[in-house]
Amino acid sequence: MTTLIPDFPARPVPGPIPPWAFPTGTEGQIPGGPATLRCDLPGRRLAAVRLVLDAGAGREPDGLDGVATLTSRALLEGTEPGGGTRLAAHFERIGASLHAFADLTALRVWLDAPVTRLGEALELLAEVLGGPALADSDVRRLVRERLEEIAQEDADPGSRAMRELRARLFPDHSRPARPTGGSPDSVERLTGADVRAFFAAASPAEATAVIAGDLTGVAAEDLLTSAFGGWRTTAAPLPAPDTTPPTPGPRLVVVDRPGSVQSYLAIGHGVPGRAHPDWPTLTVACHVLGGGLTSRLNALLREEKGYTYGMRAGLLRMRHCGVFIAQGAVHTEVTADAVTDALGALRSVLDGVGDGECRASVSALADRAPADYETSRAVASELADAAASGLGVDYPRRYLDELRAVTPERIVRAYAEHVSQDALTVVVVGDAGKIRGPLEDLGQGSVTVVEG
Amino acid sequence: MAEQPLHEHTLGNGLRVVVCEDHVVPLAAVNIWYGVGSRHEQTGVDGKSRTGLAHLFEHLMFQGSANVAEGEHAALMESAGATFNASTSFERTNYYETVPVSHLELALWLEADRMGTLPAALTQENLDNQRDVVKNERRQRYDNQPYGTAFERLCRLTFPPGHPYAHTPIGSMEDLNATTIEDCVEFFRTWYAPGNAVLSIVGDVDPQAAIAMAERCFGGIPAGPAAPPARPGEVAPLAGVILEEVDEEVPSPAYFAMLPLPPDGGHAIEAAELAAEILGGGSGSRLYDRMVRRDQIATEVWTGVTRLVGGPSLAIVEAIGPDPAKIAEVLDEELAAFAADGPTEDETARATAQAERGLLERTETVTGLANALSANATQFDDPARVFTSAARAAAVTGAEIKDAARRWLAPGTRTALSYGGAK
Repeated sequence: MTTLIPDFPARPVPGPIPPWAFPTGTEGQIPGGPATLRCDLPGRRLAAVRLVLDAGAGREPDGLDGVATLTSRALLEGTEPGGGTRLAAHFERIGASLHAFADLTALRVWLDAPVTRLGEALELLAEVLGGPALADSDVRRLVRERLEEIAQEDADPGSRAMRELRARLFPDHSRPARPTGGSPDSVERLTGADVRAFFAAASPAEATAVIAGDLTGVAAEDLLTSAFGGWRTTAAPLPAPDTTPPTPGPRLVVVDRPGSVQSYLAIGHGVPGRAHPDWPTLTVACHVLGGGLTSRLNALLREEKGYTYGMRAGLLRMRHCGVFIAQGAVHTEVTADAVTDALGALRSVLDGVGDGECRASVSALADRAPADYETSRAVASELADAAASGLGVDYPRRYLDELRAVTPERIVRAYAEHVSQDALTVVVVGDAGKIRGPLEDLGQGSVTVVEG
Repeated sequence: MAEQPLHEHTLGNGLRVVVCEDHVVPLAAVNIWYGVGSRHEQTGVDGKSRTGLAHLFEHLMFQGSANVAEGEHAALMESAGATFNASTSFERTNYYETVPVSHLELALWLEADRMGTLPAALTQENLDNQRDVVKNERRQRYDNQPYGTAFERLCRLTFPPGHPYAHTPIGSMEDLNATTIEDCVEFFRTWYAPGNAVLSIVGDVDPQAAIAMAERCFGGIPAGPAAPPARPGEVAPLAGVILEEVDEEVPSPAYFAMLPLPPDGGHAIEAAELAAEILGGGSGSRLYDRMVRRDQIATEVWTGVTRLVGGPSLAIVEAIGPDPAKIAEVLDEELAAFAADGPTEDETARATAQAERGLLERTETVTGLANALSANATQFDDPARVFTSAARAAAVTGAEIKDAARRWLAPGTRTALSYGGAK
């Protein structure tokens, strides 16, 4: 056996990690239009524009679930009926691309382009926003595609688990309880008129446009002003967002998936939103639990037991709150044992977090930021999200500073306060015939079984 | 990033080191490509089948080595804010970590220890545990996903049994179960020699200091044996459509196709990939326009290319729609039209613009550039080749794309899967 390398050096002792701060930008305001933020990132030749409209699914009118998502897609179909191919071709020709999507918080438009082609790319985007066709024929097709996509999403165990978790955590009939992109029933009824009305009500004055990249020699503010300066809202404002908070469990729900070889576990609990001072602390708690291979969930369920390819824990960002979620897929045969182990790991945080464990998690989160935000796309998306969530453009920098101040005591206190171990909602997507009995035997309360 | 000067050095034991400075962020990316993937596994032709071993072995590389305890690699990297992982494909296995530049030497030391001494920490317990993890990876990513086994099925149809590319890196449950410690040690001794690896370092580094660090950490590892030659990867051209009707619970009917393309490395693949891009690469493509927007026989269609060096590159077409036979028919019509008329000037210009954008994306992060350098050094003996990828695409003419379409994307020659959509 090769056990020793001749002259192998002793393990290097690294010096201090070099400082790095999240990029800042220069704020501006287009009269009557979006707020702007210009972020110069030397060396980044691919630029990113992130436009966030306060027209997320949380502000959809009653009965129109999915209209925000559909509007975002219809925008990509261009300025004339059936014009999507032409529009895509225009962007491709200059090495650019346009994406748009909606979540509960915002409708987001993402433009990527080489910095040398920013002007042309923004002109194209301006044409789209200034006069999108949003034609009946295109919307009808997009409705069919969305219905198909819902079926695909529901077939994916992870996304089916997320849908169920939200439906259980939030009160029935509240918007956050229902799928962001709508249900088959609601989507089926959406029309071109609904989409046009929704877009007309989206206010440019409530939008923010972030531009990031190597902006040397780029008149960024002028480009943004000429792109978004003429865009006006033409309808009454959208309803205020639905800010219904999540409710406590306990709940244990099985989404039946006969024949499934794995069970997808999702364990959730509502927490305060990002504006709350405990958010960074709870982020570290999640990392201790399910942030990496050495986290408590993975050390036990993956590295010791081999039940799973991997577990993770994190906080779902919503505008008015957050959701703590621990999740992962486990082999069907070990489902109940895996739930026991996962719940045990979740509870173990209350018994304390070590100094080293805390330091390692803080470092894992804060010191990977330079790599996480190496591209203009990542920086611009994060800044735009902070703006969309009303957190201010200095939020990413503040968040990183606050992360570094987290202590083990704070983790235990915040976790105990916000993630009640007796009020968790557990969703298991798997073969009810095989896992229901063992789950009932756990004594975690009664098991509700719903159709997959 | 513009083309950067590269600094190269080959250690006495054969390890090739490539360094590129990039001072935009205080990071260093470390990337090692080993010239071994699933194509090098035993596939039963000599009576023994060990599919999935290259990938299972990749997992074992995180279980400790002579000077690194089980789990310590991950713990050290995580607590330094590193992003790190590994991946196994047909032709190579790569290991990478992007660390604060202060931790570069630690990252190199960790890689060196496992390159030199992995078997020292190999135990039956670790093997059994990681085998379970990998089996759950297989279930999660392939067996328990709608259409999850499509690529695996298409490879099985495209290549004859036992062919090095007939199976995918995840391997079979049977072979994973049969794998022993001895298989793993033998695999390591055969393939994990420094001469079968390329180490790339990109970031906020001094090139000579980085090379000196690599020398200190890796220089003492014995050279080891030369890697055996891989089995030939050629495959006979397809004579028609080989169709498998898949009886599997899926949300909707779908049609998947695989078309072999030329191997990576020459002018031919550049033209063929542009042709595939024009055919189905995105929402401005021919197939999307026809199938999704105009005929509305599919709700989604997509074409992508996996470039391979030792065998044919592979184009995949995926379409979801109620009538797979109709999709196949329209696909043939579009292939015939493309072969007959070739691309428009605008299509050629768009495809090359996208290739240029692709280069920017692949090389704009230290992590991406390090991987691209390792890839080009391993496969083409020329790490700087990454910087010419856009120029290579731009050198392709419309006539060459037309020829490529006619030769490689001809109607009626492909392997295919039809999902009936039983609900």
